Amino acid sequence: MQEPTFLILTALAAGAQHGYGIMNDVARISDGRVRLRAGTLYAALDRLKADGLVTGDKEEIVDGRLRRYYRITDEGTAELAAEVGRLRANAAVAASRLGLAGGTA
Amino acid sequence: MSVAATRDSRMEKWYRWLLALYPRDHRREHAEEMVGVLLAADGDARVRAPKPVAWALRFGQHTADSADLVGGALRIRGRIALNRLRRMHWLSWTVRDERWSDALAVVSVVAPLLLLVAALTEFRIPQAVASSITGHPHWGLTATLGLADLPMAAGAPGVTLLVFLRLRRLAGLGALATATGQVAAGAVPALAGYADPAVAFTVLLSGTAAVALLLSPGPDRGLALLTRSGTALVGAAALILGGFSVGGDVWFGARPTRFDDFGGKVAGLPADLLIAVVLVGAAAACLRASVSRRVLVLLAIPVIPYAFLWQEKLAVDLFGEPGAGSAIIPSSIPLLYLPPLLLASLVLFGTWLARRRAGERDRQVGSATSGPGSPVRA
Repeated sequence: MQEPTFLILTALAAGAQHGYGIMNDVARISDGRVRLRAGTLYAALDRLKADGLVTGDKEEIVDGRLRRYYRITDEGTAELAAEVGRLRANAAVAASRLGLAGGTA
Repeated sequence: MSVAATRDSRMEKWYRWLLALYPRDHRREHAEEMVGVLLAADGDARVRAPKPVAWALRFGQHTADSADLVGGALRIRGRIALNRLRRMHWLSWTVRDERWSDALAVVSVVAPLLLLVAALTEFRIPQAVASSITGHPHWGLTATLGLADLPMAAGAPGVTLLVFLRLRRLAGLGALATATGQVAAGAVPALAGYADPAVAFTVLLSGTAAVALLLSPGPDRGLALLTRSGTALVGAAALILGGFSVGGDVWFGARPTRFDDFGGKVAGLPADLLIAVVLVGAAAACLRASVSRRVLVLLAIPVIPYAFLWQEKLAVDLFGEPGAGSAIIPSSIPLLYLPPLLLASLVLFGTWLARRRAGERDRQVGSATSGPGSPVRA
């Protein structure tokens, strides 16, 4: 799973959000390291929708502009959880080899 | 305030212009919210700094957003194209016209059968069997097997076996390999080898078998149409005629003539006339049904060079030597290959045209019933 995809799913795991909200949330989660722009965001959302990990939620008009919310599906939650497990396992091995504190949480 | 509004509307126009790169469906669904996100991101980027710096930063942001927008369009279009390619199932292309599809199915049974008989006849097997039965000393199996014989020797039985095992796509590819192998092997000694009608016959026959096996519902459907007894009849007739056409004097004791290669020892006139009567009668019987008419057209493709062989044999029958009579048309590469390929192209073009017309008709009917302003995707 690519990092932007992971971060988008993480942002949605907390609840439904609209596109701009996802962008800000991802920036916040990654400490400003990953800055999604509209093109990347919507290409990723398109793929996630096609894969069934994300689906459209409600729509509202704010300041005369359409704002569409997205939410994570059950499959998306399961995928995200699986990825977390994978990353955790990898991180634990790396930490133990480096002699860092950490181990399995 | 108004300055910002003007800038916003200019930026909106620019972003909408870039959004034209996106697929229509995606635009319809997401264009509004994407513009909203882009403008909101731009609004957030207003930096409290000296004007030139702020302007440069915003310009950089704006450029990056535009480039990202283009990248997004490429990614989405790329994924759509890849999905379409993946769903294409290259080896599952079929002819959508039902009668042509049925005709191809029948040919997918008959052509490999004829190919096998052609190979057997080429290596004198039926003739040798006939000789041993009648005690006629003339025929033995072909002793020498050249490189040019290898494609037929391996391909014909191989294709028949694969058809029997119901691996029709592998059989089709095998037939294609047989045709290509013959063409390649023929090029090794000399280009003049292609002018041999026998080679043209087997090359076109394997090509027709390949197309029929790959594009039709397959030998299962062909057998259902032809019935097992029909197929057996075709096979037996081909075997006997093949044996006759090169070893006729075994049965009829006609005057012996000189040897060729695949043409072999040319039969006497009575045998040739009998064969002609049988073939013409079978063809006439085929004219009754629309599917069998199409089978005739398809089988005509490899049989056209066979007609050249026939007229050579008739010339020998009548004049004793091929080319002795000036009435004979000499076989040459263009004459052998162009008419069959032209026929094949006409069939392909005709079915494509029919499919297009049917598609347009469906579209018209669909748009008439579903009301104006609703495009029907055919």
